[in-house]
Formats: sequence, C-alpha cells, structure tokens
Amino acid sequence: MPSRALESTGVSHAIVTSAIEKRYPKGGTYAVQGVDLAVEEGEVYGFLGPNGAGKSTMVRLLVTLLRPTSGTAFVAGHDVVKDPASVRASIGVALQDAAIDPLMTGRELLELQAVLHGLSRRDSAPRGALLLERVGLSSAGDKRVGEYSGGMRRRLDLAMALIHEPRVLFLDEPTTGLDPSSRLLLWDEVRRLRDQGTTVFLTTQYLEEADVLADRVGIIAGGRLVAEDTPEALKSQVGRPHVHVVLLNATDRERSLQVASAVGDPRPGVTDHCLDVSVEDGASELPALVRALDEAGIAVAGLDVVRPTLDDVFLQKTGAHLTEAEEVVA
Amino acid sequence: MSAPSIALALRALRLTFRRPQFLIPLFLMPSIFLAVNVGGLTATTRLPGFPETTSFLAFQLPAAMVQSLMLSGLQAGIAVSLEIESGFFDRIVTAPVARLAIVVGRLMAAAVLGAVQVAFFLLVGVLFGADMAGGPAGFVIVLVLGALAGVAFAAIGLAIAFRARQASIVQGLFPFVFAVLYLSSAFFPEELLQPPADTIAAINPLSYIAGGLRAPIAFGLQAAPILEGLLVTAGVIVVASLLAVAGLRWRLADGS
Amino acid sequence: MAPKTLPAAPQSPVEGASARLPRLVDPSAVRALVRRGFNEILRVPGASLPGVISPAIFLVGLVLVFGSATDLPGYGTDSFLAFVLPVALLQSAGFTGGATGVNLGRDIEQGWLDRLLLSPTSRTTILAGLVLSAAARVLIPVPPLLVIAIALGAPMPSLAGFLLILTIVPLFCAVAATWASVLALKFRSQQASPLIQASILSSILFSVSYAPMELLQPWMRAIAEHNPVTYVIEGLRQCFVGEITWVATWHAFAALGGLGVVFATLALLSLRRYEG
Repeated sequence: MPSRALESTGVSHAIVTSAIEKRYPKGGTYAVQGVDLAVEEGEVYGFLGPNGAGKSTMVRLLVTLLRPTSGTAFVAGHDVVKDPASVRASIGVALQDAAIDPLMTGRELLELQAVLHGLSRRDSAPRGALLLERVGLSSAGDKRVGEYSGGMRRRLDLAMALIHEPRVLFLDEPTTGLDPSSRLLLWDEVRRLRDQGTTVFLTTQYLEEADVLADRVGIIAGGRLVAEDTPEALKSQVGRPHVHVVLLNATDRERSLQVASAVGDPRPGVTDHCLDVSVEDGASELPALVRALDEAGIAVAGLDVVRPTLDDVFLQKTGAHLTEAEEVVA
Repeated sequence: MSAPSIALALRALRLTFRRPQFLIPLFLMPSIFLAVNVGGLTATTRLPGFPETTSFLAFQLPAAMVQSLMLSGLQAGIAVSLEIESGFFDRIVTAPVARLAIVVGRLMAAAVLGAVQVAFFLLVGVLFGADMAGGPAGFVIVLVLGALAGVAFAAIGLAIAFRARQASIVQGLFPFVFAVLYLSSAFFPEELLQPPADTIAAINPLSYIAGGLRAPIAFGLQAAPILEGLLVTAGVIVVASLLAVAGLRWRLADGS
Repeated sequence: MAPKTLPAAPQSPVEGASARLPRLVDPSAVRALVRRGFNEILRVPGASLPGVISPAIFLVGLVLVFGSATDLPGYGTDSFLAFVLPVALLQSAGFTGGATGVNLGRDIEQGWLDRLLLSPTSRTTILAGLVLSAAARVLIPVPPLLVIAIALGAPMPSLAGFLLILTIVPLFCAVAATWASVLALKFRSQQASPLIQASILSSILFSVSYAPMELLQPWMRAIAEHNPVTYVIEGLRQCFVGEITWVATWHAFAALGGLGVVFATLALLSLRRYEG
C-alpha cells in the first residue's frame, strides 16, 4: 500500500515501513522481504514468528542497528536511514541477549544509560533510582550485575530502555527464558506502559504472549509478513470456537448429534465418546447446549470450549506449527 | 608406541594446526623477535668477547627455536588443563586405553611439532641468508635435537597441567617462559651477559639446549656443545616425564 | 481490540532528553564511558598486573641479556636500561591500548556495543570514551614501571621529562587503542586479539627500539626511518638519555597526532560500516 508512506508524516503512527527489505550479501538471501507495517501510536504490536523468521532483523532495522537494503521505515516520525539520531532519541530498546556489563552495578548502568541519552548527571541519579524502584530492583541496585539472576537482568534491561521515557519501546523476545512469575511481572509492566500511551513493539515466539498482550499481531515467516490483525480477528479467520463434550456413555452418540443440531450447529461431529459442536462465540451458547443435553437425559463426563489459537492461524498461513514455542509455553 | 598414543598424538597435532591463535605464538612471535634482534643488534657481534660466528642471524636462530619450543610446551600444558576443565579428559581416562597413552600421545605430538618448528626457523634463516655451518649432518642434528627439546618442554607443560587446578594458572606462566629465556645464553654469549644473568645462565639447562642447537648452525659440528645439548635435553625429558606421570597418577587418584 | 481512538502522543517528562540531538563529543558521556573503562582494571582482581609485569620482565631481561650493547659507540649512554626504558613504557601503553580492542571485540560479541550505538550519543563520543579510557588506564602501570627502572639504576627524569612521559605514553596508548578498535570492528570478535597485540608490538620494535639508527641493519634502518613510532621512542628517550630538545619533542607529537588522525578516521569509518 503506497499510501502508508504518506501517512508516515501523520502523528497517529509510531512505526511505518514500506516494502522494507534486508538482504545479506552472502548468498543474497532475504532476512526481511517487502514488509509493510503501520503501528499506531499507543498500540502494543506483537511480532510473532518462529526462530529465524526475521523478527530480530526487523527490530534491528527499526532501531537503526541495521540499514535496510531497500524500502523505507519511519519510527516516531523519523526516517531510520536519513535521521537515525532522532530515531534513537525517541526509542527505547531491550534487545534479546543484550549485554549488560557484569562489572557494573544496576544503578551505575542506569546512570550511564541516562548520560548517554543526554540527561544531565544531576538528573540521572534520581531518574535511575526511580526506575530501579519501578522494576523492583531497588535493593539490588548497588550489586554488580554479574550477580543478578536472568529475571533481574531482564528487568534491569527494561529499566535501561525506559530511562529517557521513550515514545516507542522495542522489546525483542522479552520473556524468552524467563520463569512464569517473572514473565507475568513483565507483562504487567508492558500493560502499564501501554496505558501511559507508550507504543510497544514486541517480538515473541510465544503464542500466548502475543495473544494476551498485543493489540495487534503481525505473523512473520520466512522474512515475510503473512498475516496481521487483532488476535481475535486472526483467530476468527481460521474458524469458529467449538464446544468439546465428553459423553459418559458412548451409546448416547446419535441422540447427542440431534441435540447439537437443534442448538444451532448444522454439522456437529462425533467420535466414540466425544461430541464437537461448532458455536458462534462459546460463552453465550454454552448454557443452552448444557440445558438441551440435560433435558435429553444425556450424561456428560466433561465439557470444554475450544477456541482457535494463533497457532492455528500460523498453521493456516504457513503450513507449519509454531511447535517449538508451544512447547515452551506449555 | 600403541595405537591409542598415535591417535591422541594426531589429535593434538590437528588441533594445533587448526587454530591460528595457537600457531601465532609458535611461529609469528618468535619470528618477530628474531627479526628485531637481528635488525637492531647485529652490531653487537663487534663487541670484544663475541665468538666468531657465520652470522648474527645464525647465532639468533636457536633463540627463536627454543622460544617457540618453550611456548609450544606451555600450550600443550594449557591444552591439557583445558581438557581437564572441560571434561574431555575424563572421557579419555574412562576409555579403555592405557593411561600412559595420554602422556605418550602428547609427547609424540610434541616431537613432531618440535621438528616442524626448528625446520621452520631453519628455513627462515636460509631464506634470509644464514649459512648452515654444520652442513647436512648439522641439519639432521638440529631436527633431532628440536624434536627432543619439543618433548622435553611438553613434558614440563604436562607436569604442570596435571597439578594445576585451573587452565588460567598454566596460562599465567607465559611471563615465566620469558624469564627463563632471559636468564639463559639463548640470546647472547654467556660471557657477555650482565650479572647475575651470566651465573644463572651457566646452570640453566636452556643454555645447553640452545647451545646444542646453535653449534651446527652458527659454528660447525663441535662435539662438546652438541653432546651437552643432547644430554641435558634427555635429562629434562626423563625428569619432566616422571613428574608428568606422577602428576597424572595423582590427578587420577585424587579425582579432583 | 485495537484502540478505536488514538491516544495523543505522550509528552516526555524528561525535559529535552528526547529532543536534544547529539553533540559531536559529549564530555559527560565520555566521562561516564571512561569511568566504565576503569572497571576492567579496578574491579577485576589482578587485571592491572600484566600491564606492569610483562614490560618489567621484558625490560629487566633485555638489560641482563643485551646490556653490553652500549659498549658500542653511538648509544649516547652507557646504560642500556636507560636506552630501552622508553620501549618498555610504550610496550605497556601498547598492551593497554590493545586490550581496549580486545575488550571491544568482547563487547561486540556480547552486544554491549549495540547498546551504546542505540543511544543517541554521537559516534565520536563513543569512540572518544573508548580511547580516552585506555589513555587514562595506562597511568596505572607507568609509575610502578618507572619506580622499578629507577631502582635498578635508570636516571631520574627532570620535571619536564616526567611531564613528557606522562603525555607521550597516554597519547601512544590512545593511538594504539584507536588502531585496536579498527581491527576489533573489522573482525567483530575477540579472535582479533593476537593480530592486535602483534601489530602494536611490531610497530614499537621495528624502530630504533634496541639500537640507535646508525647501528641498525640497512633493512631495519629503512623501516625505522619510515616508522612514526621511531619518533615517539626518541621523544621519550630524551627523558632518560641526553637532553630534551624541541625538535625531538615536536617530532614525537607530530607522529602521534598523524597516527591519531589516520586511525580515528579509520575507526569512525569502521563504525559506520559496522552499522551497515
């Protein structure tokens, strides 16, 4: 869409790319190929894809660490190629596996980051202290980072990315390798930032993370953007939710099919002990289905609403599962 | 010379030649020092007391050789201590090979590498105009003595590695190599060294090893320095190998 | 759901931080980077030792072995220690400068350089921080080296001599650090370390390091006459041998300045390439 480039001058978009590409000289392979993005100001945009899909390359292009082979990208209204300094001044970045100098304390790192972002030395100390508190590292602030746990490092990394109150925040796989409780803490922080109006561009290989956190999700595979929408809209594209009913007696199969048809699914499925009823949204039809089964005297052993996942979307668009990610989340 | 020793020797050699960071100290650094010494200090042959030699380059070649051989001995020690740290060593010792094969394999590799090292510096010398005073026989003597000296220094490296707790300790011995070099007559005639280096050089085995390598190159087939060199090298091999084997036994018994 | 109404662009509460464009060299950022550089020495136990021990062994060893060289005419002193002390000082500076490149290689491997490059700080500021931290760090091994040398009989330099030493040695360290950064940015890993240290050491030794110009072999003389480090050594040597002259002094500074400009240009170009 060529009109997107024109929109870049408007204030409503935090990130706009137009046919952006990165090709590596070796073998001429594309890491990112013809991607158009338009991330709105204040949005949490989830960039979902398996390892090696081009997520990190895309982030490095947007944060000025890589120059695109062709195409344009505007971040916070600035051209990443022509005006990288202005882009850098407007963004905060927490890269995957970003180095944190193990010889420095958390507080020193934050103050260094503040000075590098042009804060005066007088301002950087209180600013550092405030951010340490915000990410729950006040008591560990004067310890060397070498002694920090993985979760503490990520929190410090986030604090460093926020030192200058960036308008756009890039988080490259922020929760990879984190334990569940650290992950939830980070999610809370992302939501808080969104509520304050910060745009968050987040890459992840975790379906759940994209689903729960992102206002919109872009799915990348093989360097191309294969799908992009709200998680709900993406999932509804691949199919409706269905109610999975486990029957107590397999003999009730035939009658249960009739009940399901009456409730509204013209073509319910049944196998052995299980009945699958396609529904509009799940929550509203469920009571009616349960009542109808009860009235027909069909005993139920278990019942579940199964909704399409982003993995189904991924499967439909690419023909493959995001299996690796699924395993880690489970 | 069992098959496992030969396999381990070939492995050690392969690893050495595959890693430039291992080869640079063995060939490049001694060559740089050789060039600098020759380029800057050739005039010292005019000093009273400097023995009659074919050239200062020929005189300096053995210094480059022993420097290279000592560093490769140290590297053999570092390689073994890294293997101990990484657990590869445990895999070898649990394999059904004679434990002695570990030491013998390394020492055989050191012999081959040692001959290659002295041949390299002889080639450098010939390319830059040094004459071989001892002729073809001298060439053979230098190769043999180089191989033996390679074994001697590798045995010292192993003896240290088996006793050291960390590879970094062995790595920290680099300056010590140079201290031993400077306190020998490897670089300069003993009678021209400043006290107390002259006294220490007289009892430093390295002086004799360098002297044995030097005679066939710079002076001719003089029996005394060559025999002294061979004898001292053999002595170092015996003592250091015994220490290395004792160190290996200690490590296997101690298990730490 | 996507937000139906777009929130207004957030105002940065950190006044001016986002708006300010980078200065060519930001002194407070350089100061902060230099302070970080000192951690490598002050917070790693024993890290400052190699900078003293290796040149000290080298110095004492050279004197014990080749000390009688000054019996030859042309040295201008009968103390070989005084003659080669400048070489040991430069070796220490070169080692410290080279370590900056080695550490930069590590920083590239670990992503720390990316973090620096992500800040709006100018590239010259980042480079200046790197190089000046090396120059400042070399002031740690210099005093012990001088004390060792003077204790062994090297002549005590005059006040002007001390000032020259404390200017030339850090400047050479900065030049070496800049060169080392060029190599580190080229190879982007610590693998470049042997090349860094070997090239710096060679630049010091292929000069009038061991003997005055007229005693060098013709080929060595040809190299030494064209090697700018020769002038740096002579600039330092006048603090221990003979008298301090304007000519030797400005030659040394001109050599350092020329090398500095060339390497700094290369380093900035390499940094640009790195960002490609």
